[in-house]
Amino acid sequence: MRVLLVDDEVEFVSTLAERLSFRGFDVDYATEATGALTLVGQKEYDLAVLDMKMPGTSGLALRGLLAEKSPELKFIFLTGHGSEKDYLLGSKESAYYLVKPISIDMLIAKMHETMGGH
Amino acid sequence: MSDPLEPICASGLQFFGKVSASVSHELKNVLAVLNENAGLLEDLSLAAERGKPLAPEQVKRVSENFHKQIRRADDILKNMNRFAHSVDRFSAEVDLYELVSLVSVLASRLAAMRNLTFEVTKPEEPVIFKSNPFLVENLVWFCLEYAMAREGGKDPVQLIPAKKSGKIALSVVGSANFTEGYPEHFSGAAAPLAAVLGATLAVDHGNAELVVYFPDRKK
Repeated sequence: MRVLLVDDEVEFVSTLAERLSFRGFDVDYATEATGALTLVGQKEYDLAVLDMKMPGTSGLALRGLLAEKSPELKFIFLTGHGSEKDYLLGSKESAYYLVKPISIDMLIAKMHETMGGH
Repeated sequence: MSDPLEPICASGLQFFGKVSASVSHELKNVLAVLNENAGLLEDLSLAAERGKPLAPEQVKRVSENFHKQIRRADDILKNMNRFAHSVDRFSAEVDLYELVSLVSVLASRLAAMRNLTFEVTKPEEPVIFKSNPFLVENLVWFCLEYAMAREGGKDPVQLIPAKKSGKIALSVVGSANFTEGYPEHFSGAAAPLAAVLGATLAVDHGNAELVVYFPDRKK
């Protein structure tokens, strides 16, 4: 599975990318919207895991931009917030909305579910 | 007739709530980084058990990440503690540079969401006056929120505490037009708050500068 992680917390996103790579995922990461859009322009991804709150472009806004470039791309939202408002927004976007910190096994399970597997 | 203190109390609680929410978000991020690094350490141990040699530089990197996040959390909590204690005394000596530095740090995550930073200029002489620390912080917060809603430039918004013609002044200097939305932003709770503090606000149109004047009270 080709996964794109986008989060402005570089230590978080780089470590998560490393751990997912250990588990056989093909992972790239970006720390802001422009970097994410560049990566999606260069490579096809199956799934994007997006932080909701990022400087400049929010996760929800980025989802729209990425989906324009890659209509087949699936999404999971990952955030530290966990407010009801964010949950409702994330849910409306027909994507999983997961609150940090999260266990990697739980994340992987949701990634497979999002891709239609088990 | 409604209590004139009502909007000030409501605004104070909203201010406290916004800061608390922002701090809790920051701490969640710290926990998320620690969680991933603890997980990475576990992954490396499992790999070592299976015969893959453990690279000392990887362990060192994880350890550095732990230390960095602990320092970060410590800074966040120290600032939150200072802020929480600002309600302890109704009237106290306020060092405007220290106070503005604290409020700008508390607002830094919200500012970062708008690709904005604040820079506080340290005055040559301390700018100290007597006032209600929490209410001054709240009025400074109003000014920073106003700047955050209007700024979008690459340069940091300058926050300059100074003494100006017998008054205590805080200048908020940026590249945006600070006249836009000015009456609306400061007509709500900010107006009675400024009145209680004896503060006045002014916009220098030419220099894109918002100035708050506080009375130079010593008692």
